Amino acid sequence: MDAPVAPPKVEVDASHRYGSLTVHEELKFRVNANEFVCICGPSGCGKTTLLDMLAGILVPSSGHVLIDGMSANPKKQSISFVFQEPSTFPWLTVAENVATGLKIKGVPAATIRSKVADIIGIVGLTGFEDYYPHQISGGMKQRVAIARAFATEADLVLMDEPFVSLDQPTREHMQREVLDIWRRMKRTVIFVTHNLEEAVYLADRVLILSAKPARIVAELPITLQHPRDPLSAEFTEIRSKCVRWLHATH
Amino acid sequence: MAATTKDEGRRSSIATAMGAGIKIGAWNVVSLAIALAVWQLASVAVASPFFPAPMQIVDAFIQLATRGDTTGHSLWEHAWASIERVLVGFGLGVLFAVPLGLLMGLYPKLYAGTRSVIEPFRFIPPIAWIPLAIIFFSGLTRFAFLIFLGAFFPIFTSTLVGVARVEPIHRKVGIVHGAGKLWILRHVVIPTVMPDIMAGMRVGLGTAWLTIVAAELAGGISTGLGRMMTNYAELIMVSHVIVGMLLIGLIGFLMNEVLLLVERRLFRWRWQVSL
Ligand SMILES: Nc1ncnc2c1ncn2[C@@H]1O[C@H](COP(=O)(O)OP(=O)(O)OP(=O)(O)O)[C@@H](O)[C@H]1O
Ligand SMILES: [Mg+2]
Repeated sequence: MDAPVAPPKVEVDASHRYGSLTVHEELKFRVNANEFVCICGPSGCGKTTLLDMLAGILVPSSGHVLIDGMSANPKKQSISFVFQEPSTFPWLTVAENVATGLKIKGVPAATIRSKVADIIGIVGLTGFEDYYPHQISGGMKQRVAIARAFATEADLVLMDEPFVSLDQPTREHMQREVLDIWRRMKRTVIFVTHNLEEAVYLADRVLILSAKPARIVAELPITLQHPRDPLSAEFTEIRSKCVRWLHATH
Repeated sequence: MAATTKDEGRRSSIATAMGAGIKIGAWNVVSLAIALAVWQLASVAVASPFFPAPMQIVDAFIQLATRGDTTGHSLWEHAWASIERVLVGFGLGVLFAVPLGLLMGLYPKLYAGTRSVIEPFRFIPPIAWIPLAIIFFSGLTRFAFLIFLGAFFPIFTSTLVGVARVEPIHRKVGIVHGAGKLWILRHVVIPTVMPDIMAGMRVGLGTAWLTIVAAELAGGISTGLGRMMTNYAELIMVSHVIVGMLLIGLIGFLMNEVLLLVERRLFRWRWQVSL
């Protein structure tokens, strides 16, 4: 008899169709607890759809998406999601937006205040707490959404191209912060990006998806020590391997 | 550092807005003065007892306000009677139209399945209900019913349409954090629809005043601005009729200003747009 093993943090074995459009065909993979996984794939292959299923927003047409061995359900599991689209509430200030998840979870007001102040500092929005989204820039709005997702300290963090609207230095700063939060707080992160350098810089493992119907075509473990040097020989080698796989999907 | 400059920027933009407000106020005084002057000149030119000058309106107003009308009711009694009817009927309209609009917006099948019942009523003007209302109701109930009909549809329709504007991404934000339906209703749907509800309320208020005057003209009661105007029209006392008209315009205008004020407070997050 095998010794009972803990289920992986995430287990996906699912197919999904929107009407007659098959997006995923027996998409299968696992993610271990505390792992940082990046997902890359051609535009429109179903990455956002996959994250929606992981977040319990969408139920796959067949198969299952399990988190800690149970069907994904945001009321039971603690999940946070940085969306690809702008998602701040225009009627709330920056601070109120960041506090949204904590309020839903019924965290006491004093705790909310200090956590919100901390995380707003991390994303570099101190001084803008009382601004409404229409008074700040697109990249700042995205940082509000990132802060909101991290404020709840969820143990599964889903990020859908979170840094596209940021300039290079801010993007690098945010990447370091995400890595730091991931290491300090032991989160599991699933991170969708089109930027392979970003994927190789961040991930323990990169999954490459094919075009629709999406399957995993390649899985590249990355064991380089953090902080990684994008100019090192090993880094560029893994990166060009990813590029080749991604080109093969077209 | 960046924050202080931003704050100063915001403060100076408020100052600019206030400056603009004073300017707009001045323009309104000027246009009002021009309107009065044109009226005065026209009345001198026409020189007919049926075309009173502005001062005669003021005289009629003072007379009505201090001594009351021919039936012993003061101007304030008439005005209050109308206001009370409008407020009750309009309040009932809001009370029914908003929840029903939200419900049908959130469950489009409910609307699709009942629209053949609901929609035709929208095209029956409240005035067309006056004969039936006279038969079935009396007093405040009659007016409340008619105004309710007038206010209901603008508010209901704009609420219904507003629900369709809720961004799916905003619902997702709630769902991902484990929010239930009620949270999403309160914190996503209602804030999104609120501007539409307020716009519907302003249209509904207009319809409410339209209806009340018509209903009061139809008779059966002794107070109300519409009633007062009919009485004086029968006596061919034009100035007194005009006092009633202007008062209706003024009260409607003030109520609308109150709604706008509420709107501006409620929608600070988009106040530049709503101005
Ligand atoms: N609600 C929906 N109804 C029908 N089809 C949908 C829906 N959402 C997505 N799709 C389709 O599913 C496919 C995958 O969409 P998805 O948003 O998951 O792609 P993606 O991989 O995130 O793309 P991108 O990299 O451009 O963000 C697309 O072909 C899209 O048209
Ligand atoms: Mg996407």
